[in-house]
Amino acid sequence: MVLVGGRGTRLDPITRRQAKPAVVFGGKYRLIDFVLSNLTNSQIDTVGILTQYEPHTLMHYIEHGASWDLDLIDGGIQFLTPYTAYEGDQWQKGTAHAIRQHMHFINQHDPENVIILSGDHVYKMDYNAMIEDHKASGAAITIATFTPHDALSRYGVLELDSDGFIQSFEEKPKHPKGTHASMGIYVFKSDALKTILNDNMPEGFDFGKDIIPKALKDAYPVHAYQFEGYFRDVGTIESLYEANMDLIDHPEYLRLNDYKHLPLFTKSSNYPPHHVMLNEPINNALISDGCLIEGTIERSVISPNVAVREKAVVKNCVIEPGVTINENCYLENVYVLADTVIMPGTQIIYDSVQVLDNDTLWALGDGHE
Amino acid sequence: MTPCGHWVMAMNNRLLAVIDASAHSAFDKLTLHRLPGALPYAGRYRLIDFALSTLRNASIINVAIFPSGNYRSLQDHVGSGKRWNLDRRRDGLFILPPKNLSMPAEDTLSFMRMHEHIEYFRRSTQEYALVMPADIVWNIDFNAVLTDHIESGAQITEIKHQNTRMQTYIISKKELLEYINSYDVIPYQTLNDVVLKKKPLNYNVYDHQGYSKRIRDASTYHRSNLDMLKFEIGTQIFSTEWPILTKEKTAPPARYMPSSDVMNAMIGSGSLIQGTVHNSIIGRDCVIKEGAEVYNSVLMSNAVIEKSAHLNYTVIDKGVVVKRGTVLEGTTTQPFVTQKEQIITTRSNLSVLFAASEAYPYVKTGGLADVVGGLSRALSKKGVNVKVALPLYPQIKRQYQNTYAFHDSMTFSFDGELRKVNVYWLERKKVGFYFLENFKYFERDHLYGYDDDCKRFAFYNRAVVQLLHIIDPVDIVHAHDWHAGLIPRLLKHHHATPPGSLLTIHNIDYQGACGGEVLDALGLPSNPEGINFLEDGILQSTKLSTVSPTYRNELRYEYFGKNLTPALQRRERDFHGVLNGLPSVFSPATDKVILSPYDAPNAFAKTENKLALQKQMTLPMGIHNFVIGMVSRIAEQKGFDLVIGALSHFLGVYTDVQFVLLGTGDEALMERLKQLEKAYPAQVKLNLGYDATEPNHIYAGADLFLMPSRVEPCGLSQMIAMKYGTIPLVRRTGGLADSVTDFDPLSKEGTGFTFYNYDTDALLERLGDAYHTFKEHKDDWRMLVSRVMKADFSLSTQAQKILELYLSIKS
Repeated sequence: MVLVGGRGTRLDPITRRQAKPAVVFGGKYRLIDFVLSNLTNSQIDTVGILTQYEPHTLMHYIEHGASWDLDLIDGGIQFLTPYTAYEGDQWQKGTAHAIRQHMHFINQHDPENVIILSGDHVYKMDYNAMIEDHKASGAAITIATFTPHDALSRYGVLELDSDGFIQSFEEKPKHPKGTHASMGIYVFKSDALKTILNDNMPEGFDFGKDIIPKALKDAYPVHAYQFEGYFRDVGTIESLYEANMDLIDHPEYLRLNDYKHLPLFTKSSNYPPHHVMLNEPINNALISDGCLIEGTIERSVISPNVAVREKAVVKNCVIEPGVTINENCYLENVYVLADTVIMPGTQIIYDSVQVLDNDTLWALGDGHE
Repeated sequence: MTPCGHWVMAMNNRLLAVIDASAHSAFDKLTLHRLPGALPYAGRYRLIDFALSTLRNASIINVAIFPSGNYRSLQDHVGSGKRWNLDRRRDGLFILPPKNLSMPAEDTLSFMRMHEHIEYFRRSTQEYALVMPADIVWNIDFNAVLTDHIESGAQITEIKHQNTRMQTYIISKKELLEYINSYDVIPYQTLNDVVLKKKPLNYNVYDHQGYSKRIRDASTYHRSNLDMLKFEIGTQIFSTEWPILTKEKTAPPARYMPSSDVMNAMIGSGSLIQGTVHNSIIGRDCVIKEGAEVYNSVLMSNAVIEKSAHLNYTVIDKGVVVKRGTVLEGTTTQPFVTQKEQIITTRSNLSVLFAASEAYPYVKTGGLADVVGGLSRALSKKGVNVKVALPLYPQIKRQYQNTYAFHDSMTFSFDGELRKVNVYWLERKKVGFYFLENFKYFERDHLYGYDDDCKRFAFYNRAVVQLLHIIDPVDIVHAHDWHAGLIPRLLKHHHATPPGSLLTIHNIDYQGACGGEVLDALGLPSNPEGINFLEDGILQSTKLSTVSPTYRNELRYEYFGKNLTPALQRRERDFHGVLNGLPSVFSPATDKVILSPYDAPNAFAKTENKLALQKQMTLPMGIHNFVIGMVSRIAEQKGFDLVIGALSHFLGVYTDVQFVLLGTGDEALMERLKQLEKAYPAQVKLNLGYDATEPNHIYAGADLFLMPSRVEPCGLSQMIAMKYGTIPLVRRTGGLADSVTDFDPLSKEGTGFTFYNYDTDALLERLGDAYHTFKEHKDDWRMLVSRVMKADFSLSTQAQKILELYLSIKS
């Protein structure tokens, strides 16, 4: 089960017209690529995708899942949308609520365990290791944890005993007791999932806020699987930008060039390789297909089909697809949204990253200094 | 118009497409493991993507691909055709390989091969058929072509671009089926034949304005790739509205490091750029290390260019590693081409030892000596340190005793006894020669023809291997023909770290099939069945080559490869065809023998030589007479059956045709030729003696040079004739196919007249075409004369390709 319904309000305006998992990442990827690639790399071939907020971009993008080898006759990808039923409207009120609405999907496949994932995390993971851990510990629920690079208080914090079982769980605590943060990835024994969701409804709707504390209270054995790899919850513009920059500064984190171990798949564009025309400096840049580069690029991620015209300078930027940066522009610390056209001579320098699109440009007025 | 963005529009149920994905030999290494259609292009695509995508953009949903040869890579690329909307319940994508595998497939799709899959044509419901090659780079709207075809009311429409024929046709399926059904009774084998020969034919030309290029060899491949860097061409081919689609791959955006220096380059996904890239195409997942320089080059995927390597005008195949400091230089017409997954290093002193039974100028009985002499010199000009090891025959002793010096002597056991070999040495034009002296085996009047030839050359092989112990180390031993066939095995037997070996097959008819006593003499494990020198060399050498790319392909068939076919098939991956070069001594401008020397700008002076030839041969003199010349050993293999059959018709019909032949050989054939001379005494003159007139008189004096060989591994006469401005008429086999391209009166391309089927009618027809061109299209003929004189058959080109092979052996 992949949860892709969230609005991602903190990513506004990036998510104004699309679900968070459809957000562009690393030039040619979208956030959903990580979870779909992890699934196919873990040989998990039955996937339900729960959608709610602005699902069309995402559904069009995923299609039948062929790009991730998930277009299978048995299983494969199934979109689980909110629906109207005899009992009344089933608009999803939270992550757990959404799963409960689609319990019939789980019943139909009758698996031993259900893994619940979010579509908006940046990480490469073989879920089998986690499922093995889940089986070995005999837990009803296993939660994947990581050690955050920033404040623990942003995350769900877990306190563990010596066997790795969870003692306490606090969502975004001011004074965290534990040292492990939840990745929002859960493996449930199917039976436990059904019982808890049925028992717990309707007062709580969210896995992190409601279900896990309830399960702990009910003395279900909840185990922590400690994930050692790179993990980013890109819930804010800053973290999304930082994760993009990690691709440049630390290619070893996500190893995008590694096609053997946990390769990252994406739906490919139809663009020819990018064309660098003039002999301007290009330093520490990631440049995608279909781009036309005449200017200078420094420490930036450039998505497909972007034009950077003569004497333009792009520094510490993330540029989404289809953007045109005209002659003599100077951009620094800018996150430029798809299809933005920046007029010649525009200079935009921010101290810390800011989002730019045609609307903001309009508000700023032409020739903004 | 059906723009792609609105693909939901109606399927095109009027047009089916046939893609001709036949193999052909002009690419050599690039198409060793793939068909031309599967060649990577522009850093991301394969050539066939242009065909499939333009078909998709025209909403065509019934596509048949006719591959020949190794189509694994093509099949892998197109898959189910989903990418081009071709995975359909009805119609869709069909891959239809040849069914008859006992004969080499022609390089153009014939009606005969279509007939093998006649069901496909019968079952499809479309009214029109589009037949196109898989090797065109373009972005064209086929619906516009179809409309034009229908409006013209023509039987057949061909697409042209600036007078270049794209050999892409639209024809009604009904008419196509008629040709296919009657393939064995009509005089046309392909649609091209129909266009050129069928009269009357309502033929319509559709002129396509946009960029269009057929990719026919390494040079057009290289140039066309770099064309994509021209902004107008690139944006027109890779249009967003009419997209070119290709198989999905997983690769992140390309990464540029601060040390990168890039100008006018297309760079594929997943590449890491740390070095210099100017005016080049870089494929997917390449690594250009810091300090590496890539200029004017085309890199396919996964190439690694190491520090301070320098590339200029190169084509680097998939997975090639160019090591530190390696310098690879090609030219626009002759790019340096690597092989797939090769590791390339150059030390400035690459050192090679030639092992051959003869070498010009020291000892010569046939063409082998010329090749060894010419190639060794051409390689040394390219900076290779070349040495040649020859048996010291009495002929050499007599003539050169005073020029060589004693080098060393060596002793080894052979045939149960210790044998001593004295080694003499001389250097000629920067090529070193070692002469191996042994009285028992080499002191004979002739080179070959003794009962103990097996042992003699086994001894020679053993001596060469011993020689390596007493001379400066060499990187590669280049063995020629069966006389050196056991060297690859002996190298492994007598050297802990043996140098690599290249075996070149000049003549497969002589194989050195020897008894088991040779093995015993060499101290090798005995085998009662004996040993075949050439076969053993084929199996044991690091790489193999033969004298032309087409002959190399033909040798996979038993008709050509004979008993060695299985061995050659086993080594197919390491087997290359390199066309022999022509020494620069063959030039009508410097020829002292002919009456009137001439060069290409003054080719009209050739006429004086023609009159001189007629006079000398006592033929009626006249510049309007059509003089057909032949210089050939008279043997069945050279196609004399056809010559006699065709000429006995032809000379009767056209009394102004004259035939001059110089050669000797098979008695029965010579007798039949004399009959021909008797029947047409005023038109035929034979010169059948050993001490014949200079062949140069014929090369210079004839209009047409006839060479309809049944088998012709390389052939030099056609190249000499061309240098002298004499238009070749050849059968498309072996080196003839690689040196002569068929003249096409519509596009005016080509360098001669060719035919494929070994039968009299096929030859007769081309004789007629040549005659009519000479008589009625004098401008075309003059153009052909000046064109063939400029053809490049240089030793330097051959040496370049052999050098590329050496580099692949060293890695």
